[in-house]
Amino acid sequence: MTTPLPPAGSLRRPPGVEAEPFGDSALMLRIADEDAEARRAGARRLRDILLDVRPYGVLNLVSGAESLLVEFDCLAVSHGQLAQTIRLAVAGMGLQDAGPVAGAKDLVVPMVVSGEFSPDLPGVAQELGLSQEATLSALTSSVLTINLLAAAMAPMMAGVNFPGQVSRCAEPRTDVPPGSVMVAGTSAIIQPFPGPSGWKVIGRTPLTICDIHEDPATSYRPGDRVRFEIIPESRWAELEGRFLRPAHQQEGGRHGTDA
Amino acid sequence: MEPTHEYQAAITIHEAGWLSTFQDLGREDSEYLGVPCGGAADQLSAATANILVGNRRTDALVEIMGGRFTFTASRDVFISVTGTPADVAVGGVPVPMWQPVCVPAQTRVAISNARDGMRNYLAFSGELETPRFMGSAAPESRMGFPQQLAAGQKVALDSRYRGFSQPYLGQPLFRLPVPVPDFSAGVWTIDVVDGPETAGTPGIRELLSSSVYTVGGRSNHVGLRLDGPVIHPEGLGEIVSHGVPIGAFEIPHGDELIILGRSRTLTAGYPIVAVAAKASLPLLGQASPGRKMTFRWLSQEAAVERWREQQRLLATLEDRVRALFTAVGLPLAASNAAPSGVRAA
Repeated sequence: MTTPLPPAGSLRRPPGVEAEPFGDSALMLRIADEDAEARRAGARRLRDILLDVRPYGVLNLVSGAESLLVEFDCLAVSHGQLAQTIRLAVAGMGLQDAGPVAGAKDLVVPMVVSGEFSPDLPGVAQELGLSQEATLSALTSSVLTINLLAAAMAPMMAGVNFPGQVSRCAEPRTDVPPGSVMVAGTSAIIQPFPGPSGWKVIGRTPLTICDIHEDPATSYRPGDRVRFEIIPESRWAELEGRFLRPAHQQEGGRHGTDA
Repeated sequence: MEPTHEYQAAITIHEAGWLSTFQDLGREDSEYLGVPCGGAADQLSAATANILVGNRRTDALVEIMGGRFTFTASRDVFISVTGTPADVAVGGVPVPMWQPVCVPAQTRVAISNARDGMRNYLAFSGELETPRFMGSAAPESRMGFPQQLAAGQKVALDSRYRGFSQPYLGQPLFRLPVPVPDFSAGVWTIDVVDGPETAGTPGIRELLSSSVYTVGGRSNHVGLRLDGPVIHPEGLGEIVSHGVPIGAFEIPHGDELIILGRSRTLTAGYPIVAVAAKASLPLLGQASPGRKMTFRWLSQEAAVERWREQQRLLATLEDRVRALFTAVGLPLAASNAAPSGVRAA
């Protein structure tokens, strides 16, 4: 039933997409490249191509840091057929970054820094060789791009202007409160719901970033841009529990349906 | 075509069992947004329950995990109960599972004494009114969507079923070709195919197919945790966190084997030494703590053929129900024959 994978050399411009079976109904896709950043960018581009093309039989996509898991209906297509469709789509659309996602939104996330909300800030500053103030301004001066939505729709963002990499906690915390702003490497993430995490906690937003009673449950999607803004703790009560909306909607109030 | 709702029935839950929830086959196309598909752990039993009452496979139904579940309805309702063997009674009269059953208004239905597996599915002809998240009634407890049913709760049902009576409740209403799974074996055999780290884990094939594993107490819809012998892969460096499929056999640090369920955390960096065949996932979804199981290796092609056969039997049942219900005037959902999962081209 399964057709053998087409030889990469048969395509005019081999795009270097590795496709490995992950069980009878999934394929793991990776870009063959020595450079980790190229693999990460390639994985994002693969996801966007597949969301655009929607190959027949594809049921779900899961973004990894450097890979894309494609779950499919094994009665509709075989591993080989699907891999070939994907390679053809990549050959046609190109793996190079297509630039900002069409319709990408800008979001500003207010955050409070305090002893309680920022337990890892001193350690992160020390690791980076910066003062705590300089560490925070590296974060707030960065325009971050949401690369993917991690567990429970957590926005994972790349591009913090740290001078080095931030390590993860030696012992992951078992229960990080929602709204926690966390960093690792040069990425940031916001905790949408209580749960475990090994990322370093350096602040907390009073906003609700994911609310299953909203439709959609988040106002952000992969490709949107995020900026953090430090606010005084005195503004916490005023903003607490408000749903995070794109910058141009925050004052007016009504939620867009542009997803 | 929208089904016309002739009436609304109120279903009153009197006893809710140990854990009962709204359920369905899960969310579609949600995982790129970080939300696992979730849905009935035993998809085969859940789909069959809906098919037997003329619903779409994807309609909302009730999943019951243990204990005693009882309800009455304000109007006549048409139901089916599938899943692990249990005692089902309507007004005290035992009725068969895996068959549609007419339930007169105000007559108590009891589902109890589940054995062998751990889940029962209760479907009602029509549409249950339930909250939805990303289009699905399936629980997503991590995100605050538990969907749990409680004693005393009333659930509304929009139904077009009326006036079809069953002369002898204890006997099947129709002769339907229902593929009833067998949960009776002492040790369940689960079919598996190679995972990405199978080849890098010498001896894992022989180990999984010759050992008996026991489902541990901390197992749930996120994953089954098995006690039994494991081998760690050799010479693997750090695995960059990547997406993980349902049914992946992970060996984290320590001597534990985890089989991921439908509500798994979507990414992980542990070696995957095998992946359950898709056709074996419904059986895995019935495994309760203490259940013993062993594994049988299949080629990818054989695994796909097993799934094809399972789906063929389900489609045959669906065709028979459609023909029969049309002939006798029982309600049918507008389109219950769509193949599961494939997006319309």
